[in-house]
Amino acid sequence: MVMKKVLASVMAVATLALAIAGCGKKDDKKFVVGFDQEFPPMGFVADDGSYAGFDLDLAQECAKRMGREFVAQPIAWDSKDQELKSGNIDCIWNGFTISGREDGYTWSEPYMVNDQVVVVKNDSGITSLADLAGLKVAVQKDSSGLAALNDNPALTDTFGELVEIDSYLQAMMELEMGSVDAIVMDEIVARYEIQTSGKPFAILDEAVASEEYGVGFLLGNTALRDEVQKTLEDMAADGTMKQISEKWFGSDVTIIGK
Amino acid sequence: MGSLQSTLIQLLQGFKFTFGIFFFTLIFSIPLGLLVSKGRMSKIKIVSLIFQLYISVLRGTPLMLQLLLVYFGPYYIFGVNLGSIQLGPFNYRFIATIVAFSLNYAAYFAEIFRGGIQSMSKGQYEAATVLGFSKMQTYFKIILPQVVKRVLPSVSNEIITLVKDTSLAQVLSVTEMFTKASAAASAQVSVIPFIVAGAFYYVTNLIIEQILNRVEKSMSYYS
Repeated sequence: MVMKKVLASVMAVATLALAIAGCGKKDDKKFVVGFDQEFPPMGFVADDGSYAGFDLDLAQECAKRMGREFVAQPIAWDSKDQELKSGNIDCIWNGFTISGREDGYTWSEPYMVNDQVVVVKNDSGITSLADLAGLKVAVQKDSSGLAALNDNPALTDTFGELVEIDSYLQAMMELEMGSVDAIVMDEIVARYEIQTSGKPFAILDEAVASEEYGVGFLLGNTALRDEVQKTLEDMAADGTMKQISEKWFGSDVTIIGK
Repeated sequence: MGSLQSTLIQLLQGFKFTFGIFFFTLIFSIPLGLLVSKGRMSKIKIVSLIFQLYISVLRGTPLMLQLLLVYFGPYYIFGVNLGSIQLGPFNYRFIATIVAFSLNYAAYFAEIFRGGIQSMSKGQYEAATVLGFSKMQTYFKIILPQVVKRVLPSVSNEIITLVKDTSLAQVLSVTEMFTKASAAASAQVSVIPFIVAGAFYYVTNLIIEQILNRVEKSMSYYS
């Protein structure tokens, strides 16, 4: 008898949870892009407090052409999968590396290439990957840089310590004050940051890994992927993509339709 | 079930730091709190004001912000480079965490101690003087034991809060248990690691609660 009652209340709660989940279903008029707001120049907070970046510009143009309302949703990078699975965001579009994540998402075609590079202080005397032996190396939590390092234990095992940090901006602050000796990060971001901040950092010639950026959708969401992919190709064809790339990088770094 | 086992191992690795932060913060913040409460009750106006300001600022701003300031402040505000400091097994990251937590908790403890000390009646001091106790003797033999007894419930509150607050150390990339739980949750795309971490926090507090209850009982010598 008691069991029955317990079972009934469990069922009631489950039904309620399902009903709430159902309400959470997003309407098709919006295009919610999840991004790490500390990842310049792909997605970051501009001086006026608005969200800006190369990827967000692409995403916004894309949303406009698809006739949807563009919503930029900053997310914690290490909970991106939960955000995507729970339907809080439609896609991850933020210098999102395909390599190593091929099976985790439904991907667009890659739209630009990127290397995982090592950033050090100018005067550190570090010139090669071998020099990192015994040193403190920072990498972003759950990033493709971390994945690249995990794939390369021959290198990673030589490090004195691998520190996983929330964001690259914080990692760069740590590098500047010396609590870490090097950062493994995306070349695109590293170059942009060094150039805009004027910090005395250098990028090692030797890269840790080479990879490509794409837009990641929930596994199986091919309908939205196809829609975005087609729009991206249109943007590449009519020169809009080139225009946005030149605005951020001074040249056309995109690879779609080439 | 392999993932549950690896979750447990990761969380236990993180628990070392969680417990470390908890332990060292208690060790440093309680005596510091006592000092601050003394300063706050000082008869010298300016001293009292300085400590009032200290308590007010430390209680009035987020601990997370204080952590970031203690960690990055020395270099970015004062140009002092502490980043490569290493004290035995403790690096600057951990030391800064302990400093920030201790400064913050000392402010709360100070007010609790002040409440306890000021609740003692003047008559006790007078009686002690009449009986020939020195000021020091009065404080340590008569006042303090009663204060400890009175403030214990409030101090228990803070201690239990501290166990949970250790998770804030993640902003400084300290690999405490919450950081580990987030990483595991993200790797497995599951909330199980959070539930397991929740159980860890709860059991830790349950044990602390039992200890504090015992201490409280051992001091209830009048009832």
